[in-house]
Amino acid sequence: MDKQRDFVIRTIEERNVKFVRLWFTDVAGTLKSVAIAPAEIEGAFAEGIGFDGSAIEGLSRSYEADMLAQPDPSTFQILPWRGEIEPTARMFCDITTPDGVPAAADPRNVLRRALDKAASMGFSFYIHPEIEFYLLKSSQIGPEGPIPVDRAGYFDNVPGGTANDFRRRAVNMLEQLGISVEFSHHEGGPGQNEIDLRYADALTMADNIMTFRTVIKEVAIEQGVYATFMPKPFTEHPGSGMHTHMSLFEGDTNAFYDPSGQYQMSKTAKSFVAGILRHAPEITAVTNQFVNSYKRLWGGGEAPSFVCWGHNNRSALIRVPLYKPNKGNSARIEYRAIDSAANPYLSYALLLSAGLKGIENNYELPSETEDNVWDLSDSERRAMGIQSLPQSLDHAIRLLEESELAAEVLGEQVFSYVLANKRKEWSEYRSQVTAYELKTNLEVL
Amino acid sequence: MATARSNGSLTGLAQYGFVDLDGTISKLDELVSLVGDSGRSALAALSKSASPDQALDFLISIARDNKTSVRKLLSKEESATRLCKLLGASTALADFVQLNPSVLSVFEKEQKLAGRADYLKSISQPTESSGLSIQNQVTSLRKAYRLELLKIAVHDLSATEATSVQPMVSTALADIAAAALEAGLAIARRELLDSADFGTYSATEVAATKLAVIGMGKGGAGELNYISDVDVIFVADAADDSLEASRMLEIATKLATRMMRALDGTNPEPPLWQVDANLRPEGKSGALVRTLDSHISYYSRWAENWEFQALLKARPMAGDAELGAKYFSAMNPLVWESTKRDNFVESVQKMRERVSGNIPADEVDRQIKLGPGGLRDIEFTVQLLQLVHGRSDESVRSADTLSAIGELSQGGYIGRAEAAEFSAHYRFLRVLEHRIQLSKMRRTHLMPVDSQDQRAIARSIRAGWTAEELVAYWSDVKLQVRALHQKIFYRPLLAAVSKAGGDTVLSSTQALDRLSAIGYLNPEGALQHISALTTGLSRRAQIQRQLLPVLLQWFSEGTDPDSALLAFRRLSENLGESHWFLRMLRDSSGAAERLSVALSNSKLATSLLELIPEGAAWLEDLKALQPQTLSDLWGQSESLLARHQDLNEFAKTVRHIRRRETLRLALGSVVGELNFETVSRGLSELSEWYLSALTSAIIESFKADVDHSDQNLDFGIVAMGRFGGQELGFGSDADVMFVYRTQPGDDTDKAQKSAERLVSELHRLVIDPQLQFEIDVDLRPEGKNGSVARSVDSYRSYYSRWGDIWENQALLRARMIYGSAELVEEFNQVIDKFRYPEVLEPKSVVEIRRIKARIESERLPQGADPKRHLKLGRGSLSDVEWLVQLLQLKHGNEYPAIRTPKTLDALSALVESGLVEAHDARVLSEAWTLSSRVRSAGVLWSNKVADVLSLDRRQLEGMSRILEYPGGSASLLEEDYLAHTRRSRQVFERIFYS
Repeated sequence: MDKQRDFVIRTIEERNVKFVRLWFTDVAGTLKSVAIAPAEIEGAFAEGIGFDGSAIEGLSRSYEADMLAQPDPSTFQILPWRGEIEPTARMFCDITTPDGVPAAADPRNVLRRALDKAASMGFSFYIHPEIEFYLLKSSQIGPEGPIPVDRAGYFDNVPGGTANDFRRRAVNMLEQLGISVEFSHHEGGPGQNEIDLRYADALTMADNIMTFRTVIKEVAIEQGVYATFMPKPFTEHPGSGMHTHMSLFEGDTNAFYDPSGQYQMSKTAKSFVAGILRHAPEITAVTNQFVNSYKRLWGGGEAPSFVCWGHNNRSALIRVPLYKPNKGNSARIEYRAIDSAANPYLSYALLLSAGLKGIENNYELPSETEDNVWDLSDSERRAMGIQSLPQSLDHAIRLLEESELAAEVLGEQVFSYVLANKRKEWSEYRSQVTAYELKTNLEVL
Repeated sequence: MATARSNGSLTGLAQYGFVDLDGTISKLDELVSLVGDSGRSALAALSKSASPDQALDFLISIARDNKTSVRKLLSKEESATRLCKLLGASTALADFVQLNPSVLSVFEKEQKLAGRADYLKSISQPTESSGLSIQNQVTSLRKAYRLELLKIAVHDLSATEATSVQPMVSTALADIAAAALEAGLAIARRELLDSADFGTYSATEVAATKLAVIGMGKGGAGELNYISDVDVIFVADAADDSLEASRMLEIATKLATRMMRALDGTNPEPPLWQVDANLRPEGKSGALVRTLDSHISYYSRWAENWEFQALLKARPMAGDAELGAKYFSAMNPLVWESTKRDNFVESVQKMRERVSGNIPADEVDRQIKLGPGGLRDIEFTVQLLQLVHGRSDESVRSADTLSAIGELSQGGYIGRAEAAEFSAHYRFLRVLEHRIQLSKMRRTHLMPVDSQDQRAIARSIRAGWTAEELVAYWSDVKLQVRALHQKIFYRPLLAAVSKAGGDTVLSSTQALDRLSAIGYLNPEGALQHISALTTGLSRRAQIQRQLLPVLLQWFSEGTDPDSALLAFRRLSENLGESHWFLRMLRDSSGAAERLSVALSNSKLATSLLELIPEGAAWLEDLKALQPQTLSDLWGQSESLLARHQDLNEFAKTVRHIRRRETLRLALGSVVGELNFETVSRGLSELSEWYLSALTSAIIESFKADVDHSDQNLDFGIVAMGRFGGQELGFGSDADVMFVYRTQPGDDTDKAQKSAERLVSELHRLVIDPQLQFEIDVDLRPEGKNGSVARSVDSYRSYYSRWGDIWENQALLRARMIYGSAELVEEFNQVIDKFRYPEVLEPKSVVEIRRIKARIESERLPQGADPKRHLKLGRGSLSDVEWLVQLLQLKHGNEYPAIRTPKTLDALSALVESGLVEAHDARVLSEAWTLSSRVRSAGVLWSNKVADVLSLDRRQLEGMSRILEYPGGSASLLEEDYLAHTRRSRQVFERIFYS
């Protein structure tokens, strides 16, 4: 640890860094930042930087305002978009109370706890997300809704288009920040893009996703466009999901891989999938945390609204992808419900814990679903025992309220904050008169 | 040299040390018949062995097949002694000699210890001769190891002073273990190339796989026992980039498992010892072999503090030396950095717990390693000092205990005399352990029970020692070792302030380091208190100099050592001159420890102790901490009343008794002697008695008063709320109502006036500025505007005419605690009609629900978090109580069983009557009990009544200790509370509002 700290201090000197931004994430998944001067950095390592926690959503209550941000030197990076004129760096922070105890409400700490639990069972948890987002002309909403930068579709190459430049620049910047990109392409919707990050352990990946969102927003500003991770900005186009590939490793071997299993899935993998399937509905309020998230989940197309799994079934909630033979270490499963606006720390903590629960209690994996579940009738689905994810935020909140798993993983404090926060959002949304009502009711009634 | 026979006496044999005298004569004859005259001279050699009987038996059976070699050995005194000593001390090695008679040559000459390189040569060479099958290689390895082990044992047993060679013997044992690991690894490599897997892995791939074996614990530190698990960790690397990491790890894992199998797997030659790799990252479930990077990332991210401390003794033991060295230089600094981590203090406490960890009761006295005064005690002290001082002083970082003691003494952290004592005790305990293990080559740390076995152990350590002498000496060592921790760790702190005595004068920074390492937040302040307590020539200061080292440790095990030390200083200034106090602390370790617990965990107990210092005396005798019964209390107040005519004087003494008994209950709950139910009942009874005794006295004083002498007032007190349910906690208000009864013909006005005057006298007398007591009469009819006392008739007419449903509800917990039998009966009759109505009107149910909802939104203090409010919060006390009371109102008429003012009793009666599901009742009663206990713990800890679960970590920590959580459970308590109340709220909402 001290070596990393020394490295940070040295680099700040050598690169003449002018500001260091300390980043952390609130319970809602918004990135928070406080900038300090290089002179303060040693103090920050030793004692943390004090700040008023009550001003941050869900972090603390007004009467326990004092919080410390403890920078994690292993996350130090120079921010590429600041250029060389006034170099600025960033580090992620753990939040602690003044006496050094991890803050119960720090999402990073929630994920750490879940990972500790996994470690005690001998597992490390790896993540590989596919993050979708829309590029718009601006954040202004036109008469027809938001205005995308192009009209292209899946895998389209748009000659001279903004999207190509954009992706090149973004990928470049991510690589400079030490975030490896696996893949990037144009997605189904107009202006919709997807960038896949190379797998990393869950904590690093959650940090990376927070960085990723910032990079995308910064590059958009640089190129005079606007990027949004809103789950479903267009009624008629697909929403932006964050399909997440997950795998468990025992030491250096992939615990999901068993060459003799169905789809080379080990017993561990099967129980893990069973765990996620069983608990998926109750954690959806976290993995799909906004009113708008449910417009994506129930917007048809390939949206994973139903709790089932399949092999290469693009409508299933969990997909077990095919991989090349002798690539045992790339064995993984893909969870398709989570969207690009989720708080990655909380979502990954819950998904991991749901899966581990399956392993601990030996959950039986239900049989595979080969059909496109959207094409089935309600009664067919009922006959096959296929449940659905919650249909609205309200529904999701009610399932979350009853979830012992979520209470345990998030900790009682984050758990009740999330509930309160979501109830508030739902009640605000419910009181709106929407464009839809005006269009369908006003002239008729 | 005369034979026994020619001596003609069994006494002679006994003098030689034999036990079975008769049998020995014929055995000696047999020996002589086998090896001739040299058999006679064997007697002298036999007498030097641990068990001459055992040695003789083995001698005979070995001689049967090896007459010549045995004769040769016995013909010389030195070789005869070596042989007999070994045969008498170890049945296991004697068997080995018998099975492999060629090793008899070992005894021909004096055996010296060799170095690691020599051992490696002699253990691995036999396995390398060409054409041996893998199985035979393993056999050769094990035999070669045992031969070296035999040589070491011979050397060890030949020493005149076993303790002087112990360190070298331990090092040699670690060296042959390392050599065995190395040879095992070589076999594993050959096996992998030979096996069916060949073809899967090419020779170049296997060769490119570098594997280093890191020794942990005693193996790593080079201080091994004769037989114990050898703790290891594996680290692997590829020699060049052409070998892919995952493939390299596959090969390395195969090598590691095969190596382990070579040492502890099945083979005609029995296993050497268990190779234990469970200290590796992620323990049993983790990967067996990791790359160095993977180790580093585990330790920088996941490892817990104790895992860093375990690294203190990690040293490369076998395999690739360069990789091993890399591991060491990457990992060792982490040990010293770990002391800067926030929870270092906590982890030290955990370390301490492991030392005194769970030992079966019947083994405590026989344990050499664990338990008080065992080897672990010494190792703990040494490691703690290394961790505290090693981060700034690189010269005290050795892995093995004895070198570390030497270094710590060199550096001035331990006095020279103490260091010498410490290392002498350590060596003795190790020798004892060695001899016990050597005897049967079993992995044990227990003194044998059998007195013959004990005798043999004693004789193997010192010539002519008896079992009794050994046990006595050992007990003495244990006693001293126990004291040494305090002596070495804490006493120098005293010296640091007094600048007197001993050759260890810690600098004040070093003293401060030690104090903060064990949890003193304000070490400067602590040093001042220590100085004030120990300076001077008074008897008090003298005794405190003796006491303080251990008290400092006990304080540090509590939540708030700083204020405990301050409180002790105050108490001592108060009491120090009274002879019993210091005597008690000096002579009764139980009392001193309990006092430390009370002072460091409870401000309430501390402040009451300052008022009533003599209460400290109860700590000596646990029976004295049991609450007094109601009749004890009444006995005291009645005899008081007989002696005191003056009401105010009487009240003063009654107040004193109440303070004293509250202290007793507080001490009892802090030291864990009283459970929650006993304390609530004790507190409730104490308050009942307090009010009643004062009321009786007031009534007596009225009789003496001319103006009132004609009035014979039948007066009563009704306990309400938690008081009614006998559920008082520390600092609870006493909810009451006052009632009186008139006879036909009485002057009702006058009776009312008398009752009012009585109540106001009572209000005046209960006030105790030193230990607050509040009477709350707000539950009376008409609340604050109502008259403070009423006649039974007036209650009847009020409840039938004006009573609100919530007032009827409050009556459910009404319980008469004072008053004549007639009054009690009459009053209960009146209220039963209202609290157990025949039918509870639907509109009343709605009304109760509305009031409950309103209280939830209005009564919570501004800004309070409902989740943390212990009384009115989500799922806490009032939720459970209201639910119970609603059901009592509804069903009390039909089910008399559920009529009780006690919440928990009511809940179980509701279950038995089938009105509440057992599971729901359990959720509710757990939440209710936890809320009550948390509330009480809060008062005990802070001496302040708070209805909100604190956010202060330290307070939570203190409360969790009082609630008997293990140390470091602040967050756990918080989570438990929030979870229990959340579930209880779910049940509440389901039942109460449906």
